[in-house]
Amino acid sequence: MAHPPGALPVPLRAESPMAGLDRRNLGPLQVFAQSVSGAAPSAAMAAAPAVAAVTAGQAVLWSFVVATCLALLIGLCIGQFTRRMAAAGSLYSLTAKGLGPVPAFMCGWALLTGYGLLAMAALVGAGSYLQDLLRRVGVPPGWPLLAGLVLLLGLLATVLVLRGVRLSAQVVLVVEAVAITLLLVVFGLLLARIGPWAGSAPFAPDEGIGGIAAGVLPAIGGFVGFEAAASFGVEARRPFQTVPRAVQWTAGLCGVLYLVAAYTQVIGLQGLPGKLAGQPEPVSTLAQLQRMPWLSVLLDVGIAASFFACTMATGGALVRVLLSMGREGIVPRRFGATHPRYRTPHVAILVALPVATLVPVVLLAAGVPWTRLFVVLLNVAVFGYLIAYLLVCVAAPVFLHRIGELTRGAVAASAVSVPVLLVAVVAFTVSGSGDGYPLMFALLAAAGLVWFAWVRLRRADRLPAIGIYDETSAADLFDGHR
Amino acid sequence: MSPPAESAPLSGRQPKAVRNALAVLEEVIAAGPGVTAKEISAALKLPPATTYRLLNLLVAEGYLVRLPDLRGFALGRRAGRLTVPAAARPPAAARAVVERLRQRVRWGVHLASYHSGRLTMIDTDPDHPPTGAAVLARFPHASALGKLLLADQPDWRAAVPELRRFTVHTVTDPARLAREVADVAQRQLARQCGELHPDRGCLAVPIHDVASGALVAGLAVSGPAERVAGPNVELVELLTEHAGQLAPLLA
Repeated sequence: MAHPPGALPVPLRAESPMAGLDRRNLGPLQVFAQSVSGAAPSAAMAAAPAVAAVTAGQAVLWSFVVATCLALLIGLCIGQFTRRMAAAGSLYSLTAKGLGPVPAFMCGWALLTGYGLLAMAALVGAGSYLQDLLRRVGVPPGWPLLAGLVLLLGLLATVLVLRGVRLSAQVVLVVEAVAITLLLVVFGLLLARIGPWAGSAPFAPDEGIGGIAAGVLPAIGGFVGFEAAASFGVEARRPFQTVPRAVQWTAGLCGVLYLVAAYTQVIGLQGLPGKLAGQPEPVSTLAQLQRMPWLSVLLDVGIAASFFACTMATGGALVRVLLSMGREGIVPRRFGATHPRYRTPHVAILVALPVATLVPVVLLAAGVPWTRLFVVLLNVAVFGYLIAYLLVCVAAPVFLHRIGELTRGAVAASAVSVPVLLVAVVAFTVSGSGDGYPLMFALLAAAGLVWFAWVRLRRADRLPAIGIYDETSAADLFDGHR
Repeated sequence: MSPPAESAPLSGRQPKAVRNALAVLEEVIAAGPGVTAKEISAALKLPPATTYRLLNLLVAEGYLVRLPDLRGFALGRRAGRLTVPAAARPPAAARAVVERLRQRVRWGVHLASYHSGRLTMIDTDPDHPPTGAAVLARFPHASALGKLLLADQPDWRAAVPELRRFTVHTVTDPARLAREVADVAQRQLARQCGELHPDRGCLAVPIHDVASGALVAGLAVSGPAERVAGPNVELVELLTEHAGQLAPLLA
């Protein structure tokens, strides 16, 4: 060796700062399942095309093509980090390595909002679809039933996430596989009945390019959460391969699923007044139309399963961000603790997941209708995600430049995705102005600022610590290179 | 998402990629720990994008690691498997200690080295020959000396390419093996009863470097499986005592 032992340019820690987690124990399929469940494609297959069709009209397919390309580009930017570092803090820790602590803090706040509210929305969604199923067997619906179901599912998710990452990842994998299979059966049967080819109508931009562009926004909503695997870097067996692939493959898989779903709904409903955009429950209407009303039972089961898997994957990502913040000292240190036997961040789980369960329960009990609650939670969550995606896409080329590995491809991915995301954030805010969303976003931003000011005032010394990940420790090195 | 099991021969640019990967590995060794991707690319006159891809691949496979600054590279633990283990004869003083133990017990006594993370027999009992060295090195899950090695690994799964079943007693369930490995790490004693051969068993204790505390060797006694299963308090005491005498002799 040219260097004598001990000539390392950087001191190595004796132990990884992420010690305590169940390191290197998740297979590729389990990691993939986290990302897929985070995006909850089954639920989006049923709902997103109709929402996008309101502006994009029959040409909604193109909106999904654009959204898929955007998701793949975002995945590329995230992959620049996840191929090089295994983190538990998801985009928060990644952003720190590119842009430093302050933008990372912003990203962390956006991500906590996104993960937290998406977990709540998914719980409400799972509960309401279960309630629909129960109604079919004669159980009268109502807020007490729904709140009870949400409470039950939230408790179940908490226990599963707590009892070990392998167990929860396995449950997520199985539940998500069931959900996607059911949805594919539903759409396969519908497509077979309608006749797979129905002219070029779905490909003609009847509402113009502007309509398609506006339709991209709800289409992106269907991909949100696809980065969830980035929280399981420490626990993945081969993180540098598995995590970037899981994120990219999820973007691709969701894109294909949404195109199938959008195509089926467009051609199946083009004979109705208002077409796809006029349907509040497009897939159920389609099933009625094709005289297969029982399909909506499969649909309900699939969507409920998808939402539950989403709760677990998103909740798992949420607590790992909190774990990273706890170890950095940004939130109370106790959040950084891991359970000696389950090897999960038990304190973060036992705080965050019950909160994510109780907030919707209380709101339901206070008389907020579940559809309104679900839509608001989802929209605010999407806003958080968009901010986090924007920051990580800005951070990717900066990070690569910092470590001296910048490539043209990485710059291009960032140069395309950043402006598109910026437009998406602005459009998302403006389009929701009638429903008071800009005010909610402003309040959230203000809350984030207050938190930041507090950290700056009381824990300024902790800020530089932001961005911990599973560093190479002495034990990972070949003897001769220590 | 594991790489597809291709049996097709190397084609197109693959031979070149393999050569480049090996060149990158060589360059990291030549330049020493901390070398950056840019430096490697310049030294090998490889296109930067190619270099970065190869580096990421080698890091993903564990042959290289990224240092905490995320810029520099060094050899990873797995690179140790590329070297031929130095099966150096232990010093005379160490052999004398092993021989003394052989005089005191009626079991086979063997000494193994764990140099560069691999099990190598360095002093085997001529009267009780152990299982072939290659089998012991390849299947650490089935021997007491192998389990000592696994217990010392940060990720023991990476060191067990295949959980092959030798007898009905071989531990092939990963979860059970995980418990056993954790138990070995805690008790500093490994046991194997009929897991490699139905009627033979082994007890082994680790020998740690006096200065660094790193695992350097293992001392084992082998005998009939049913005898190994017992508590063997005195035998274990004797074994530990001799291991303690060996520690300063095996640097």
